[in-house]
Amino acid sequence: MDSRVITITSGKGGVGKTTTTANLGTALAMMGKKVAVVDSDIGLRNLDAVLGLENRIVYDLVDVVEGQCRLRQALIKDKRQPELYLLPAAQTRDKNAVNSVQMEQLCQQLRPEFDYIIIDSPAGIEQGFRNAIVGADEIIIVANPEMASVRDADRIIGLVESAGKPEPRLILNRLRPEMVRRGDMMDVADVLEVLGVDLLGIIPEDENIIIAINKGEPIVYDKRTKAGRAYFNAAQRILGEEVPLEEVTEATSLMERLRRLMGFGPALTERRVRS
Amino acid sequence: MGVFEFMIGRKKPTPGEVAKERLKVALAHDRIKVNPELLELIKHDLLKAISQRMEIDEQHVQVNMAREGGFDKILADMPVKRQKIAFEWDPPSHSPAASALKGGPLHVEIERMRDDK
Repeated sequence: MDSRVITITSGKGGVGKTTTTANLGTALAMMGKKVAVVDSDIGLRNLDAVLGLENRIVYDLVDVVEGQCRLRQALIKDKRQPELYLLPAAQTRDKNAVNSVQMEQLCQQLRPEFDYIIIDSPAGIEQGFRNAIVGADEIIIVANPEMASVRDADRIIGLVESAGKPEPRLILNRLRPEMVRRGDMMDVADVLEVLGVDLLGIIPEDENIIIAINKGEPIVYDKRTKAGRAYFNAAQRILGEEVPLEEVTEATSLMERLRRLMGFGPALTERRVRS
Repeated sequence: MGVFEFMIGRKKPTPGEVAKERLKVALAHDRIKVNPELLELIKHDLLKAISQRMEIDEQHVQVNMAREGGFDKILADMPVKRQKIAFEWDPPSHSPAASALKGGPLHVEIERMRDDK
């Protein structure tokens, strides 16, 4: 069985990496895949809380890397998904406690056990980020449609390319369709044009996400929410399924532009060639 | 195009459009680290090259970096004052034109003024 290591990263903090990791991991497990989600943000552990597993931690990633415990002892089984496991970050250690070689070895150790290994990267572009991508087959970038986030995402894309990894895909998080319609926020087409990467999903701003994190239950369980459906769709796209971008149905013109961007029309290519 | 579109054609860009344009310029600078001095040199070089063929309105030349569709590009906006097309025409010896000229190339000069409104 071929396993895939996917790293979720962003450059800028607070754009939704951990929420994205938790939800994509949960959704893939819901679809019958065996999944490990790995928190590589050493010193600032959070993925455990988003999954509601913060009280079950005994050993962590640094313990595994240093040989203090076996991998299986550190993996925490999810409450609801029998095929979902968490490898938590160390909370009391320095973020330089692990090096790139150790992280790559950890990925190799996880591969035979899982279909998907999803690594939550720390913010920034330092060692922690490099560790998070070193063993990855694929990188997913999370960005919000605002200047600072997109600018950092561009920087990350450059670093991912220079690390010899395939071109990353984008999850555009916290999009507010009403603001886009008023012209007060960049739309999906703008961000994709500027960054020049492919889109994996659009997650609309949804206050249910905060409620879900408060409860420790990923929002993908709640299909009545827009964000929950959007994350589920993105996970299906990771499996290679073609799922239309139903999540931003409010604006017709936007939908039209999106359809073109996803390859159902010639507009983007024309635009790229023209100027 | 880009920023200049707004200066010329449209009245007021929306905040979303402003963000996109600012981003494009910022990213191009971030990516290839072009400092203003280098951009000034590029502008000078472009003017020198193009001035041999066309007279450029130097007051209104704008040279900038931008990023679109995953590519960095130099955007040069150079208003043309007049075209200077001057060249020597040396027709091949077997053509009737060559015998008509009886040796020596023909000096051709075409000039076109800008259509001022």
